Amino acid sequence: MRGLCFPMLIMLPALAMAGEKLPAWQFTNAQCLSCHASRDAKLVAAWRVSNHARTVPKANCVACHGVDHRGASARARRDSACTVCHEKPGREVVHSYATSKHGVIMRLEEAGYDWSQPLARGNYRAPGCAYCHLHGAEHDTGNPMSSRDPFQTSGEATREATLNRRQAICGDCHAPRYLTEQTDTGLRMIEIASMKLREAREVITHYQDTLSAEDRNTLDTLFIGMQAHGRNVRLGVGHQSPDYQWWHGQPALDGDLLRIKGVVAEQERRTLTDRARTTVGGNSNAEQP
Amino acid sequence: MRRRYLWVTLAITLFAIPAGYGYVYWNKSGPGAGVYSREWKPEPVHAYWDPDHFYQSVQTLQGEFKGEECITCHTAVTPGIVNDWRASRHASPGNGKEQVFCPACHGSNHQALHMPTPKVCAQCHENRVTQFLNEKRYGFPSHALAMERAVDAKHFADKPKAEVAACLQCHSVATKCDSCHTRHRFSAAEARRPEACLTCHSGPPHPDDDTYFASAHGKKYLAESAKQDWNKPLAKGNYATPTCAYCHLHDGTHQVADKTIWKFGLQEVNPNTSGNEVRRAAWVKVCGDCHDAAWSAEQLTGLDRERKQAWRKLYQAENTLKDLRAKDLLHPGAKQRPPYPMDAMERFFPHARIGFLDGQSSAFYNVSPIERDYFEMWYFTNLGAYKSAAHGDGLAVGRWHSIMDKSLTAIETKAQALRTQGAVEKKMLGRRADPGNLWLEGEYTTYNREHN
Repeated sequence: MRGLCFPMLIMLPALAMAGEKLPAWQFTNAQCLSCHASRDAKLVAAWRVSNHARTVPKANCVACHGVDHRGASARARRDSACTVCHEKPGREVVHSYATSKHGVIMRLEEAGYDWSQPLARGNYRAPGCAYCHLHGAEHDTGNPMSSRDPFQTSGEATREATLNRRQAICGDCHAPRYLTEQTDTGLRMIEIASMKLREAREVITHYQDTLSAEDRNTLDTLFIGMQAHGRNVRLGVGHQSPDYQWWHGQPALDGDLLRIKGVVAEQERRTLTDRARTTVGGNSNAEQP
Repeated sequence: MRRRYLWVTLAITLFAIPAGYGYVYWNKSGPGAGVYSREWKPEPVHAYWDPDHFYQSVQTLQGEFKGEECITCHTAVTPGIVNDWRASRHASPGNGKEQVFCPACHGSNHQALHMPTPKVCAQCHENRVTQFLNEKRYGFPSHALAMERAVDAKHFADKPKAEVAACLQCHSVATKCDSCHTRHRFSAAEARRPEACLTCHSGPPHPDDDTYFASAHGKKYLAESAKQDWNKPLAKGNYATPTCAYCHLHDGTHQVADKTIWKFGLQEVNPNTSGNEVRRAAWVKVCGDCHDAAWSAEQLTGLDRERKQAWRKLYQAENTLKDLRAKDLLHPGAKQRPPYPMDAMERFFPHARIGFLDGQSSAFYNVSPIERDYFEMWYFTNLGAYKSAAHGDGLAVGRWHSIMDKSLTAIETKAQALRTQGAVEKKMLGRRADPGNLWLEGEYTTYNREHN
């Protein structure tokens, strides 16, 4: 009997849907859309062009808001609605936020917040995920502040729009000058991380053909590591985590960059001595009758 | 004759001492801060981390404003911080005290606003700021000296300032009070929570957050923190489980440096000097709020044992590296890589830095892979083990030590390969292989050389 419990629990929602026996306050995703597509046409349209509508399975209405209509907005505003997916597969996305001052204040105070307030005007002492990424109920998560790449959107116009939008969101609490300077430094910090990646790429491209398959694999692994450190810098800048900007970012990039050079340099040394050995060997062969 | 010697010595001394002071003063008077201030210019954001050195008001709005007027405008401009202030004790101090409005800390002339430093907070909170400044007597590591420590680091002076912008964000704990009491609520209760420390006290060299939360103390905190009244002072009987602040700022004394025995963990210390016995007694007293004295003392001895074991491994690795350096087997050697930063003698005597006293803390880039391996073993793994042992995360101590063992083996293996290849080179080429510009050039490497 106990063996049956778990499958039955899993099947419960499916059974409920099949039988259309949901309580009056619970809705399926199709039901959400049937009402809100006309009531909040803009909002639904924004969701449809967002990454959330393209994932498999979709991050649809009930994924964040739940099936219960009561408190559905408040539920989706809380960080827990996002972290349930975004904590996977690594902890960087959420951890870079959790180690920021915003994240710390949120963790200490979220239980006391009135989550029925709109995500605007400094209504929350600390911004959670949704406050910035879905500010003012913007349902295209890539629009207010892209989570994928906070600054580098395609084309100058969209880039400008992103930066302005960012200024407006952070401006609920911070002065414009502070924000401009933070953003500028952040962009320069990300650019420096990119320089390290490009330097590594340059070394790999230049020496690739001289290397053994094993060395090439090592370089690939190191370069993938560098890409992850570069992402940490971006996350650190976006989420304002000094730990990710620095320890998980820049010095980690330095380490893998010099290791990449090390693999190449050691191979160069071996090539040189091997060549000398062949020459010496050749000479000694020539001496034989 | 003898008198002449006396005069010469006196003249040299009289000249040398003021000249020394003058030289340091001159070095510190550049656009940056600290002893390398002439070598670098700050990023604009540094103004917020070290306001005394760098902040300049550029407000265009003219006029002198009263507190109520600030609030009226800023409710529209930056509502978040006004909400914060309204919820603070500055807005409702109680006991018939006067409210503390914006101008008390920022000034009232909108074109000459300033960012508050501990000096500003000391106008009212003198006791706390005095305790905090008292940390300087104990040297590093301490909160009060953190900013000097950062700007005087050779790698900080050397690297492009945008790259190291994050350093000053944490090290600003010395130059402003809102690292722990976040603006504009400035809550004591918030600073008592362990989370208040973790923005800076996390990551590879100081995993204070992970090690505390994994300890019995931390687990109890995570399970029961909601039931705790955080407005209570950090004193005996008030807390069911200790937090960072409970032990390190006991009784709310704003002093974290006076009890530290093993310090940052980057050097071996003698844990039984008379000074350290005083510190040990202070720890036992803190633990004594809940634990038996003999048991507490044994925990501290356990930490000493762990440290001894860690240093045995570290010295072994360090000696291997010093041996490679002595036999000129490091690749790249000191002459084939960008010079160690901020060192005038480096031009004449290029020198690979190995060990704390040699300045290896700043040698984590532009070095050979084996030096970097040791750096990581020393700066990350060793400190992970230290913090796990100190915070009572017993399982992690074993994990970190097994990683140290692996690092040590890897370093020995790599050293052997360097010796073998070095010998082959000597035999076949009669000299060291020349790596050309590999270590000296490259997009970032070149940019780093040209930008401080």
